[in-house]
Amino acid sequence: MKITMVKKIKADSSPCRKSADVLEKLEKSGLIDRIDRIVVADEREPSSEGLALALRHKVEAAPFFIVENDDGSTRVYTAYFRFLKDVLDQKISESEELSELMDQNPDLDFI
Amino acid sequence: MTELDIAKLALEYAQRRPQEILKLALEKFDNSVISFSGAEDVVLIDMASKIKKDFKVFSIDTGRLHPETYRLLDKVREHYGIKLEVIFPESSQVEALVREKGLFSFYKDGHKECCGIRKVRPLRRKLATLDAWITGQRKDQSPSTRANIPVIQVDTAFSTSDHTLIKFNPLANWSSAQVWEYIRANGLPYNELHTKGFISIGCEPCTRAVLPSQHEREGRWWWEEAIAKECGFHETNLVEK
Repeated sequence: MKITMVKKIKADSSPCRKSADVLEKLEKSGLIDRIDRIVVADEREPSSEGLALALRHKVEAAPFFIVENDDGSTRVYTAYFRFLKDVLDQKISESEELSELMDQNPDLDFI
Repeated sequence: MTELDIAKLALEYAQRRPQEILKLALEKFDNSVISFSGAEDVVLIDMASKIKKDFKVFSIDTGRLHPETYRLLDKVREHYGIKLEVIFPESSQVEALVREKGLFSFYKDGHKECCGIRKVRPLRRKLATLDAWITGQRKDQSPSTRANIPVIQVDTAFSTSDHTLIKFNPLANWSSAQVWEYIRANGLPYNELHTKGFISIGCEPCTRAVLPSQHEREGRWWWEEAIAKECGFHETNLVEK
């Protein structure tokens, strides 16, 4: 299995907030070692690899993860907690689970 | 009922009047409840009151609603003579959030953590006790997330492996104009905030009035638009190789 993370770099050369937040969490938990590659989607560089990957996988926002399995299949995760649970086999808290639920059902919080 | 049965019903009722869809929900599912947000979905309560006497209604009190919304909840209770069930978040969870992050953490960390504790958790707790729930969701409320909502569906967000929950959206095909025509024609009580430019109404710190021609969603969590823009991949970024 090969895991690629795509993070976004803004025009001022800093990472976008969500990318920075997820990277910090991965580093704090030590899970960063399980990420094989970190690819940049650079706002200043339209031909950057991360932007090409976003286009190819039809992803609208950073960060996201591309998981390539040994059998050749590929799965893209745009929700961080789902990625943690499904790919890195991590237990997630109820609040993380609810956050995930809201990500997957974007109109839920309008109830 | 299987998922297939629900899909068939959804097809059969896709173009029916809201009253017919509501009647089906109330008569077919004894253990069904109307979810009332304290806004335009008052229409559902009025329609239900004309179908049967002993229908059930619940609202979620997040602890951060507008005074106008609290007043409407009580007005509706009196107007229809119903026992409106108000459910609350777990106090220990709210206390922990406030202790750790203060009362306005959503402006910095986004609204989902707070919504999860104050709204989604109690909602999930309530829905676990039901076979079906009835919402005021409409297609025109959000072109991006509600454009395709069916009038009847299996609620995949809250169903579990051993509990299938059905969700009825009787107003799915109605426009805001139709809802308001019904409210005015039938003299229904409504949230005073609507007279102050509010359309979509949620918690007080996270809801604001909108300007003419602004979409109702622009009155909710408006500060998060900046984060969405910041982390989004925009057409100007994306160049097909």
